[in-house]
Amino acid sequence: MSLPVIIKSNKYGINLILDNTMPFRELIGHIKDKFLESEKFFKNARMAISFEGRELTPEEEYQIIDTISQNTSIHIVCVIDNDEIREQLVKKKMDEYDSMAAGNTGKIYKGTLRSGHVLESETSLIVIGDVNPGAKVTSMGNIVILGALKGTAYAGMAGNEECFVAALDMNPMQIKIGDVIGRSEDKGFLASLKERKKSNTEPQIATVSGNQILIEPITKNTFNNI
Amino acid sequence: MSEVIVITSGKGGVGKTTTTANVGTGLAQLDKKVVLIDTDIGLRNLDVVMGLENRIVYNLVDVVEGNCRIKQALIKDKKYPNLALLPSAQTRDKTSVTPEQMKKLTDELREEFDYILLDCPAGIEQGFKNAIAGADRALVVTTPEVSAIRDADRIIGLLEANEIKQTQLIVNRLRMDMVKRGDMMTVDDVCEILAVNLIGVVPDDEQIVISTNQGEPLVGTQALAGRAFANICKRIMGEEIPFLDLDKKETVFTKLASLFK
Repeated sequence: MSLPVIIKSNKYGINLILDNTMPFRELIGHIKDKFLESEKFFKNARMAISFEGRELTPEEEYQIIDTISQNTSIHIVCVIDNDEIREQLVKKKMDEYDSMAAGNTGKIYKGTLRSGHVLESETSLIVIGDVNPGAKVTSMGNIVILGALKGTAYAGMAGNEECFVAALDMNPMQIKIGDVIGRSEDKGFLASLKERKKSNTEPQIATVSGNQILIEPITKNTFNNI
Repeated sequence: MSEVIVITSGKGGVGKTTTTANVGTGLAQLDKKVVLIDTDIGLRNLDVVMGLENRIVYNLVDVVEGNCRIKQALIKDKKYPNLALLPSAQTRDKTSVTPEQMKKLTDELREEFDYILLDCPAGIEQGFKNAIAGADRALVVTTPEVSAIRDADRIIGLLEANEIKQTQLIVNRLRMDMVKRGDMMTVDDVCEILAVNLIGVVPDDEQIVISTNQGEPLVGTQALAGRAFANICKRIMGEEIPFLDLDKKETVFTKLASLFK
């Protein structure tokens, strides 16, 4: 590493990238110099701090913060853990758990969802009622609507493209499954209303097929593939 | 037993104020004691539609702030002594009143009146929250247009969330000629989309514009829209009145013919 101490700013405050070969006493000196250099820039700033590049004991962290606050007018509000690998691992585990749980359990909501209403679920979701235009249902798992889907439905929110959205009357504004998104045709409201009145509505299911949302009638075979 | 009814719509310009004026006057014609409250603070116009603009001394904000007693602010109608108006303030805004204050006000008015009608401002912000605070019941006004219906749907959702027990729909400004041509939604379409009970259908009627400009509500006259409002009033009181046949051409000939039936 070329520099023993690098200051980087992030959305919370600053990130200190530290050399991990140098003895701690020497490093503290560098930190002091570095902050004195940039004292004017950080003047009276309130920020969070995080450390990178070196394992620090709580005592060492305390010493660094002490050095900064003694030599500059920076207020360190808190210390943030910056263990990216750990964070990613936790997230992965969480997502795996969520999508597993989402497929096996479900929640039932009874009532019509009107414009502006958002219903979120970490499991599969059954709505007994209509989802009106402007309303939105999201689920980590599948979504079944025993009524009309006229609004927006997002299934497999954690990225699971195996999920599906089913409705007795399928007329959505938008459907998203995993990261695949599909929207309805740009037809006038009155025109689509007339069209729907003419044709008989039948239960339909939306799945992901070849990176597109596929909507088809529900048949006996439908659920064999799910 | 008195009832507090809010007239609301979400979208502006669909006929909330006209409906409030006509329903209020219609209930007064049925010998009920009625008070109309204009909750559109800063943009008052119920007083104009009622033709009472030049009688305003005190207003809603004065009452809430205790600058006057309720009685002093109530304006008696020109024709019906059992009809009163509490006008809104023009120089203030919606934040001058809180939902708690509105509830207290409507509760006080319950002692004196059979019906307390609240003319709600457009939108879903503070003004809306104030207007629905004390309401037992809501009349949602919509026109057969997608934009108005979307907003009505949102409003109905918010009314449900605020535990307003009874919500009924008024479809305003229906044009039968356009419906017949297939250029306008039918009342059935609107009811199916919104899934609430219908309490009235008011046809698009130029008499409404004339009456509004005159400051004389149309209800009580033979104009089609006036009759539609009169029927709504009876339905509010719990009577079962069949819906008007808006399709019937009102010509001299049909009027004569109906005399001989």
